[in-house]
Amino acid sequence: MSRSLLPGFIIYGLLLAGIATVRGEFIALALPLVIYLLAGYLFSPNEINLEATRHLSAERASPGAEVTVTVTIINRGSALDEALIEDLLPADLTLRFGHTGHLIRLRKDSSFTFSYRAAGPRGGYGFESVRAQVNDFLRVTSRAVELEAKGQLFVFPPVTRLRHVAIHPRRTRVYAGNIPARVGGTGAEFFGVREYQQGDSPRVINWRVSAHQQDVLYSNEFQQERAADVGIILDGRLRTNEFARGHSLFEYSVQAAAALSDALLAQGNRVGLLVYAAFLRWTIPGYGKFQREKILFSLARARPGGSNVFADLEHLPTRLFPPESQIILVSPLHEDDLRPLVQLRARGYQALVVCPNPVKFELSYLPKNKNVALAARVIRAERTALLQKIQGAGIQALDWDVAEPFDQVVKRKLSRPPVFLRSTQ
Amino acid sequence: MTLIAFVLSVFLGCASLAYGFSQAGMTDPARWFVWLGIVWLLSQWRKLYWVASIAFALVVLGAAYGVWNNFTTIWMLLGALGGLLGWDLSDFARRLRYAAPTDDIAGMERRHLARAGIVAALGLGLALLSLVIRINRLAFEVAVGLVLLAALGLTRLVMRLRKY
Repeated sequence: MSRSLLPGFIIYGLLLAGIATVRGEFIALALPLVIYLLAGYLFSPNEINLEATRHLSAERASPGAEVTVTVTIINRGSALDEALIEDLLPADLTLRFGHTGHLIRLRKDSSFTFSYRAAGPRGGYGFESVRAQVNDFLRVTSRAVELEAKGQLFVFPPVTRLRHVAIHPRRTRVYAGNIPARVGGTGAEFFGVREYQQGDSPRVINWRVSAHQQDVLYSNEFQQERAADVGIILDGRLRTNEFARGHSLFEYSVQAAAALSDALLAQGNRVGLLVYAAFLRWTIPGYGKFQREKILFSLARARPGGSNVFADLEHLPTRLFPPESQIILVSPLHEDDLRPLVQLRARGYQALVVCPNPVKFELSYLPKNKNVALAARVIRAERTALLQKIQGAGIQALDWDVAEPFDQVVKRKLSRPPVFLRSTQ
Repeated sequence: MTLIAFVLSVFLGCASLAYGFSQAGMTDPARWFVWLGIVWLLSQWRKLYWVASIAFALVVLGAAYGVWNNFTTIWMLLGALGGLLGWDLSDFARRLRYAAPTDDIAGMERRHLARAGIVAALGLGLALLSLVIRINRLAFEVAVGLVLLAALGLTRLVMRLRKY
């Protein structure tokens, strides 16, 4: 409601009273108010022409890291006696230092710059505009304008460095990499012995086997190591990730997906990411650092969500992944997920399930009493049975207690031993 | 600075009305105005800024009632003026809350108080002048000139208002 309405009504009332009673004193009473309103209108700015620019000290940050936002307001119009400037901070970002609101006076062709520091959890944040409310000095007139000043900040999930992730897809690509290709050739790992062929290096001749034969030499053959296609599926379904009292496993799943994609890309593989939540977010497979950035962008924006369509894994779009490639599902798992996983395996995909353990996670914050212990035992037994069924179907399952660092779990269960150890096995 | 000016304005508005009413023998309404002033100050302290609009309307209503009952006009005028300044400063104090500590708050306060003071003085001066000057007869030409001036002023005002 305009602030001039109240004195306006009072002035009208007093004028009507003065005319009705033919008493000049009423008019006299109204005069200070009339002067007040007239002064406000007289000194209101003729032309409002403000521009805003925004600069962020970093467009990518880690969770909780402070980013300095600098906003400059330039006045291209007439002088402004009073301007209330407010930068709209995206939800979830918190102000750490400085102020987003300022009450200033802007002369013609002058500018005002202010900075503040903000931080936030993982996510993609868009800065859209700066709100300015321009008043005359009495605020009889007031105009609100939105000044476009776009900016983007991505808070990436923390990426744990994994030394090596051993995967064994059925099919590999033609490019050299780190994945055993189940094909003999040049490599580091022993694959078999074959008859010597012209061109074989004398160093690969297996003298022990050759000594048992007459006039025939045998060469060692090594397993080729190539790049592979890897599809990472991040399960963001509410039914598997969200627990009572607002606790969620989703952040751990995101961390695991980030660490795995980083490690697999570093090994030279082609990696794609599918976020399976309220809707599907697909990052097309690719190689290298650029793909790493794309996946991190996607993970920064990933949010858990629920929908009837994607309530279970039945609608997993397997066509997105190349046939017989490696699929890594990062999910706390639900008992209904067994069937789709077995189907995935039956289609020829090599599957690995990374399961942040929901039982241990819930026990970490639930009160310790008999009932909770009993419930935990039952659920743990159910979960163990589920994981055994999954492993029985030929799917590798990595049960991760989130209290333990992910890299240590991967090192223990997914890494390949070094070559010198492998040769002695 | 604004706070002191606000307290003085509320005191001016309510005390003038209370004095004017008590002069006329209406001690109970005079006491009400004192209470109104106290409530207004307390509401400002509790950041209930909407109370200022109601208090301003009540003060002007009280002044109008006093004028209608032939109480001393100067006290009624000062009451309305104090109410107007109190209402203005209450809103200004609210706006200052949005300012950052690094902003030129003192400068803004100084400028606002100076300008509001000038406006109030001008309003009071014109009101007093209107009470003193009595025109019994007005020449036709002067009346036409005044009408034209009023029409011109209104046109300018409407043109400016259309921007908002």
